Amino acid sequence: MKLSCFSFKLLFLIFTFTVFLFFAPLSLALDMESTDYKIQYGNVVIGGKDQSSSGYNLSTSIGQVAANEFSSSGYIVKAGFQYLHSIIPFTFSISDINIDLGSLVPNTPSTDTTTLTVSAGGAGGYQVTAIEDNPLQTLAVGNTIPNTSCDSGTPCSIGTADVWTSNDDYGFGYNMAGQDVPVDFTNSTYYRPFADNSASPPDSPVVVMSSSKVTMPTGTPTPAPASERTHESTVTFKVNVSPLQDEGTYQTVIKFTATPIY
Amino acid sequence: MIKYSFNKKIFRILVILFTLFCTIFFISLNQKVHAQLISLSIYPPILKAIMKPGKEIMIAYNIKNLGDPTTLQMLVLPFEPKDNLGNVRIKEEFEGPIRFKLDNTNIELNQPIFLKTGQSQQILLRIRVPEGAPEKDYYYTLFAETDPSPTIEGKTSSRSKARIGSHILITVTKSGNVDIKGKVSLFSVLGNKLPFFGDKISLFDSTDIIPITLIVENNGRNSIKPNGEIILRGNFGERAEYNILSQNILAYSQRQLMATPSAYFSSEKPVSLALSGFFIGKYNLSTKINFGENTPQLYASTSFIALPFKFIIGSFIAIIVGIVIIRKLNDDKDDENDEEEE
Repeated sequence: MKLSCFSFKLLFLIFTFTVFLFFAPLSLALDMESTDYKIQYGNVVIGGKDQSSSGYNLSTSIGQVAANEFSSSGYIVKAGFQYLHSIIPFTFSISDINIDLGSLVPNTPSTDTTTLTVSAGGAGGYQVTAIEDNPLQTLAVGNTIPNTSCDSGTPCSIGTADVWTSNDDYGFGYNMAGQDVPVDFTNSTYYRPFADNSASPPDSPVVVMSSSKVTMPTGTPTPAPASERTHESTVTFKVNVSPLQDEGTYQTVIKFTATPIY
Repeated sequence: MIKYSFNKKIFRILVILFTLFCTIFFISLNQKVHAQLISLSIYPPILKAIMKPGKEIMIAYNIKNLGDPTTLQMLVLPFEPKDNLGNVRIKEEFEGPIRFKLDNTNIELNQPIFLKTGQSQQILLRIRVPEGAPEKDYYYTLFAETDPSPTIEGKTSSRSKARIGSHILITVTKSGNVDIKGKVSLFSVLGNKLPFFGDKISLFDSTDIIPITLIVENNGRNSIKPNGEIILRGNFGERAEYNILSQNILAYSQRQLMATPSAYFSSEKPVSLALSGFFIGKYNLSTKINFGENTPQLYASTSFIALPFKFIIGSFIAIIVGIVIIRKLNDDKDDENDEEEE
């Protein structure tokens, strides 16, 4: 079989087109910025020497250093992060601290939402934890709406969200959506019960938002735009009661704690 | 007479309309007030102090209420590291020898204070290390905690309270010497490792983002701060340097360090550095870390290989498809020629 000039041209065109198809999406994926973080690339310079070592190597250091700044006053104090050079405060907001779940109707879930906002521009990273004082309960008689276990076929726990769509599965729980939320909240049907401070022994508060990333360029005196420093998520509270649930006004308190990373 | 009764009718309608308008207006106004916004800020977000026993310091914090008027209280609680990412586990009971009190004349720890919208409050925190306090590190968090809102009568509800914290890292030392026992516990390229001439090596496509993790362990009794860099060297002489952020590694804990500048790596697992670009061949990565002047330098290295697998596969598919098409075209041409000859 002889390949004509036309055949060569065709082969070349198909080859170029296929290579383009393979590489075009890859080049698009190399975005310089995302909605959450500024992406920075290093300068690659030519002229460096090859490193002779290869594989994996570990080093250990044991020693002491004299604290040169330890003056006669007997103390040294350093405030803020050395690598951020920022005077931006650490800020935490809850859009609505009164979650009104209304008058409950058996087998009819009731929901309400609030928005958590963290601005960690001066800290670089943060975590927000949540814990309830106790399950939803009446003040006078002490009747309780138990924390949810989600749907019977998809049980959830304080550390693992799962599907809760059945109106025949009862309890109180929450869903998270937005930035820096735990990955097990796959979509709006995934719920967890709150960690319970009245349990015996008490549960530990559970992280509902966290980021360990630094959102400001090193040594840059100008802070990143507010949109890059602010992280936002929505908490959806859900309660569903059985027809056997005692009548009453059920209440609880959720404690949200925001701390910067150290 | 007729005119009078007509005006009276209009007046009545106007009164009814006005009442309706006021009712709707105040109902909508009431709903807006119902959503209570809590927004607090604190500065500085972290404080590190090295102190001799018997000494005390006073630190000025600034708390600002950016939300609706609220009552809050200041409290100090100890914490411990929770993981190697800088997250903490707060202990709900105070412990340790360090003593805290406020120097403000009108505010005390654990006592309620009221802040109006936009109001700032300077908190003067006095920290005292008693004589005889053991030489080690002590970790606390200063919190501003709001009171939960009043209960909603007759409705099932969940009320929230907010806490915002600022960490306090205290090193107690008589001599000023700090115990530095750092160790690189992991410096590796994440991903599948394949056997390669008796060794294991990470293999990537040339266009992949290369995730690198660097974990440093602190076996000393004091917190340390690393300084250093991660260096990438390619087999064509390329070289790139990435500075390691000087983050605190608490006593007897590990910390996954972060280097910048870095690409963004979309993964559930946080990484120290993500390299992006077009890589080809073998690349060596090394890291050099120290913990201040006159401290020994830690060294670790690793490597990876990147090859244009996608390009090769794409080219192969293109050639096969091309040959098939050309062969088909030639066969058709031969058939046409045969038909013409006949």
